[in-house]
Amino acid sequence: MANLKEIQRQIKSVSNTQKTTRAMKLVSTAKLRRAEELAKRSRLFAQKTNQVIAEIAGRIKCNKVGGIENRCFIENDTPEMIDIIFVTADKGLCGGFNMQTIKAVKRLMTEYKNKKVKIRLRGIGKKGIEFFNYNEVEMLDEVKNLSSAPDMQRSSEFMMRSINDFKEGKIDAVYIVYNGYLNVITQQLHVNRVLPINVDDYNCEEIKNSVLELEAQDEEKMLDSLVTKYAEYNMYYALIDSVAAEHSARMQAMDAATNNAKEMVNSLKVKFNKARQEAITTELIEIISGVESMK
Amino acid sequence: MQMLQLEVLTPSGLIYSGAAKSVTLPGEEGEFGILPEHVSLTTLLKAGVVDIQKENGKTESIVVNWGVVQINQNKVVVLVDGAVAIRGDNESDIAKALDEAKSLINSVADSNAMIASVSARIESAAHHLV
Repeated sequence: MANLKEIQRQIKSVSNTQKTTRAMKLVSTAKLRRAEELAKRSRLFAQKTNQVIAEIAGRIKCNKVGGIENRCFIENDTPEMIDIIFVTADKGLCGGFNMQTIKAVKRLMTEYKNKKVKIRLRGIGKKGIEFFNYNEVEMLDEVKNLSSAPDMQRSSEFMMRSINDFKEGKIDAVYIVYNGYLNVITQQLHVNRVLPINVDDYNCEEIKNSVLELEAQDEEKMLDSLVTKYAEYNMYYALIDSVAAEHSARMQAMDAATNNAKEMVNSLKVKFNKARQEAITTELIEIISGVESMK
Repeated sequence: MQMLQLEVLTPSGLIYSGAAKSVTLPGEEGEFGILPEHVSLTTLLKAGVVDIQKENGKTESIVVNWGVVQINQNKVVVLVDGAVAIRGDNESDIAKALDEAKSLINSVADSNAMIASVSARIESAAHHLV
């Protein structure tokens, strides 16, 4: 009988968990819809900004217009110090979402350590920060509560530090690592080099036909503020994209958990019924054998 | 008649997309207008008012705080940080847009003269709408 009670208790506990996970899934679904909408609206701007900057960068690379020697556009093959910015969630319970980002950061770090490059790690999001703190990896910056509620101002302030250090020559590259949203069921890991601007895949032939004129007097100033905006915006977009991805990951994880709980309840019910049958059979045998012995 | 293909984008979405007869922009070096067949150009914008003359002859004003414009073969792409379009179906909507626009310009403009000139322009734009 004790066994029966034990199983009953388990069933109750598992179905309670199921209720929680189902509720969390619903919450994530609602939040995902909002985050997705935001990301969708921002994507256009991100694309256009990147397009404008790529065109300028491409021109500088291909024909060296006006002899622009802005650090932000020049490839540096021997970096000495780099910034790695990662974005993780503030909360867990979203499957491998955070771990994927952390692993990518670790990969990037080993890659550069082997090249004897110094790394400054800057983290956004509680989970990633906790992980690196636990592993005693030194971090330059720790920002919490930003990844769950992206804010243009805070993200710009955060990014400014890297941008300024880059312009002053303290660091030679800035990477952003985050898990982005691809669709409801898939997340895509991004490792983006924000600075210097990537011009590798720019086709020089194309530009010869296109016409792009920069207002001559403010070329340097314009490039400077454009690059700043570009970097700031990339940071902000990474945050938005990451939030959408986080919710989709959590939705999936909670869906899987709900299904698992359902299966578990089913198998526990079978076990319970078997145990009950067993108890009845034993009782019957006891009674029958008692009657037999009286004869 | 040739038209400009105009797009005004902010980080939080598209503000304006469509054909336009002409656009007046608050450039870093001063205000300038763009007509179809304009030479290709990429330049910075400062805080001010973007005036769009639409296909049907009506004008629309958008207040921006910072931006960059790319003009390429009748395609005009305006990328801005923050923007408020002065439009609405009724007076209260327009008044709300006006307030938003004023607070946007107050947050970036460094001189009172500029705030005043922008405020005057958007108010007259709003007046035409009503």
